[in-house]
Amino acid sequence: MTLIADRPGPGAARPYRFPQVVRRTVAGGQVVAAHLPGQNLAVALLLLDAGAGREPTGKEGLGAVLAKALEEGTAQRDATAYALAIEGLGTELVIGLDWDSFQVSVQVPVERLSAAVELLAEAVRTPKLDPDDVRRVRDDEATALRMDWANPGPRADAALRADLFGAGNRWGRPMYGDPESVAALDVEDVTVFHSEWFIRPGTLVVAGDLDRLDLDALGATAFAGTGGGPVDRGGPIEVPTRPGRRIILVDRPGSVQSTLRLGHPSPYRAHPDHVPMTLAGTVLGGAFTSRLNHLIREVRGYTYGIRGDFASSRRFGRFGVSSNVQTAVTAPAVVEAVGEITRTRQTGVTEEELAVARSWRAGQLSVELQSPRAIAAALTTLVVHDLPDDYHARLRESLLAADVAQVSAAAATHLRPEELTLVVEGDAAVIRDELVATGLGELVEQP
Amino acid sequence: MPDSGYPWPIETTRLDNGLRVVVSEDRTAPAVAVNLWYDVGSRHEPEGQTGFAHLFEHLMFEGSVNVAKTEHMKLVQGAGGSLNATTNPDRTNYFETVPAEHLELALWLEADRMGGLVPALTQETLDNQRDVVKNERRQRYDNVPYGDAWLRLLPLLYPPGHPYHHATIGSMADLNAADLATFQAFHQTYYAPNNAVLTVVGDASAAEVFALADKYFGAIPPRAQIPPAPDGRTVAASGRPTTQLVVTDVPAARVYVAHRTHPFGSPGYDVLTVLATVLGSGRGSRLYQRLADGERIAQPDLVGAYGVDLAHAPAPLIATATARPGVSAERLAAGLAEVVDELATVPVTATELDRAKSLLSTSWWRQMSTVDGRADTLGRYATQFGDPAKCAERLPAWLAVTAEQIAEAAAEVLAADDRVTLTYLPEEKP
Repeated sequence: MTLIADRPGPGAARPYRFPQVVRRTVAGGQVVAAHLPGQNLAVALLLLDAGAGREPTGKEGLGAVLAKALEEGTAQRDATAYALAIEGLGTELVIGLDWDSFQVSVQVPVERLSAAVELLAEAVRTPKLDPDDVRRVRDDEATALRMDWANPGPRADAALRADLFGAGNRWGRPMYGDPESVAALDVEDVTVFHSEWFIRPGTLVVAGDLDRLDLDALGATAFAGTGGGPVDRGGPIEVPTRPGRRIILVDRPGSVQSTLRLGHPSPYRAHPDHVPMTLAGTVLGGAFTSRLNHLIREVRGYTYGIRGDFASSRRFGRFGVSSNVQTAVTAPAVVEAVGEITRTRQTGVTEEELAVARSWRAGQLSVELQSPRAIAAALTTLVVHDLPDDYHARLRESLLAADVAQVSAAAATHLRPEELTLVVEGDAAVIRDELVATGLGELVEQP
Repeated sequence: MPDSGYPWPIETTRLDNGLRVVVSEDRTAPAVAVNLWYDVGSRHEPEGQTGFAHLFEHLMFEGSVNVAKTEHMKLVQGAGGSLNATTNPDRTNYFETVPAEHLELALWLEADRMGGLVPALTQETLDNQRDVVKNERRQRYDNVPYGDAWLRLLPLLYPPGHPYHHATIGSMADLNAADLATFQAFHQTYYAPNNAVLTVVGDASAAEVFALADKYFGAIPPRAQIPPAPDGRTVAASGRPTTQLVVTDVPAARVYVAHRTHPFGSPGYDVLTVLATVLGSGRGSRLYQRLADGERIAQPDLVGAYGVDLAHAPAPLIATATARPGVSAERLAAGLAEVVDELATVPVTATELDRAKSLLSTSWWRQMSTVDGRADTLGRYATQFGDPAKCAERLPAWLAVTAEQIAEAAAEVLAADDRVTLTYLPEEKP
């Protein structure tokens, strides 16, 4: 048999193109749209400045409870009639909530988008918010969080976040709240949050075949009855750094794996090092062939996967590594992960590794931006971070232009292995002594 | 009603060695999806070798005669691509989406591991990936509440010896016993060009793909005899309900109700697909309206029903609900069973039917909205039904389902005396 031994080189590169972006001001709000000719599906997404960062400290989970309450009936119809109407169009209300924004979207065949946006606006702008419904939804959400927190991960995430950012700050508490914070919300918290943040116009993001859509009409529907202007979004937050590494042990008796969450604070989204930091994170823990995944999974077999990255929002960021490793190898896995972070800070990246990282990140801008949902998410990035229409093309250029010196410098500046918080959620009785013996840092136990 | 669920061109050919090649050109984006379906899954595994098809899938990323260990991932990601593979009871698929200028690279990589895996397979690689897969099992099934529900339901639904009796992830004992020679033989037996379908969708022409397919795959010899999996098409009705109670560390009582229905791709399964959507998809579904909203005995985020799209035996329909605080498992199970039973007795309304069909239409077009979604669909229909173009019939078939057919199907395959019920109860804490 003859297989061809020589690896083929690339063919002629196609020019990169992001869909044409259209911006309109309609009825006091902004419409930002991408033209997807011939696409049968369309997405409309209402973007509100009502992210978790807008929730008062102590009221974590408010946005999530309000999101559920929006579907419990509107000024025009009860919950069942609403569900049948919107699902009769072929969509559900899809809620997205992060630190910077609250997003509610619909996805339907293009000819139904207008009707779907009407229903979206009806729920967001004129929910009934009956007190009994709000209390029930709140209790259900607290129960849902208790269910979720029975899985490995959420408790470790919360421990890491509190240690990095301080539990006294909103951004030091879980993005979606925890079972206790949600259970403590009252009806007025929810109605006040709605009146404060949900009747400002916001931005309507549309991805679809614009030849078959009327953006002005969609905007007029989405922004009808709204008022109030934008509110200052605040600058980057100064996160104090703390010298010295520490281990936080979260007990999960009987666990057959240990959940690792390692991290430290890192810069906010608009930081000038964003691209080289992203690439340093990709070499260390982003791609499948990253240093961490290669060593911990492909050489050692300690885990099904491990990843690390720099994540950032408008006001703050964090470097983080996450994995689930077999209980018996918890201590060596943590030691080796810290070792790779340290090595990357000290010696930077190689050209061979960087070549993979930059081509991968650049290529993903073609490969992963196909569906209306993915394009809508890309438009959302433009809006939240005040970026220009040609941002994705420019990002592609800067990814491809980043060199070893820049990326290694970003690794040296923004990886701080001596300041890591190492959260380990696992069977404390089995792993405690080994973790202490690693000498990686003082061990603090969390029940 | 649309005439077709696939309004793009489809061209097919078959190489001399039996490899079927499917191409669907679409120049919208400068990307191309490459997808291989191998007609081998966990249904082919004999007793004592559960989990081998899936562990083998891992080995396919670890190098072949002209591709060094770890190079496969590095080359695809280094070309800007996304890649993965999955194994289920029916089949194993491998896929990557790359910027269009790297099509030839993707085909070279796939050909090399189809034709040249065995010489590169080492004991060290097997031992490493065995550990990785054992951690995959721990992460997905063993270390999460209710994580083993699927592992428990399969043997309750399908008798010993049936190809769907065991789960694809396999048992720890069998994985520990896996030896190198077995995997070498596994590749030689099943990873033959005449047991695979190569699909390419996106920024490439059929002529170009056919020529490249012949160049890279054409010299790989076919295998004369590929042993079929055991026939599982007929499963005798048990004639009595099957129940299992699991008392363990879970945060709330949960009930699963499961039935064997019809194979994916059959007219009966089209009816079941619409039925499952009426029953358990969305806030307008019967389960949500009755158990989460009406009686308020189920947690709203955790109630639902779905079919598992398996094609080689009657496929499962699963309905599930999780108790609200203070609600007993018995009450929840009774409520769930009642809603399922009523599918045969309380006719589905026009509103319910329209809602289900609208949701299914969106779901279909979402799958079609990317080149990778289309490639996987074409590969499935070519592999399982002999013709990729048959995928165009699925959406119209769903849209033609009537309320009467749903009631008949419910009476036929959702009978209470042939039902599997799996209940999780939280253990008493001291």
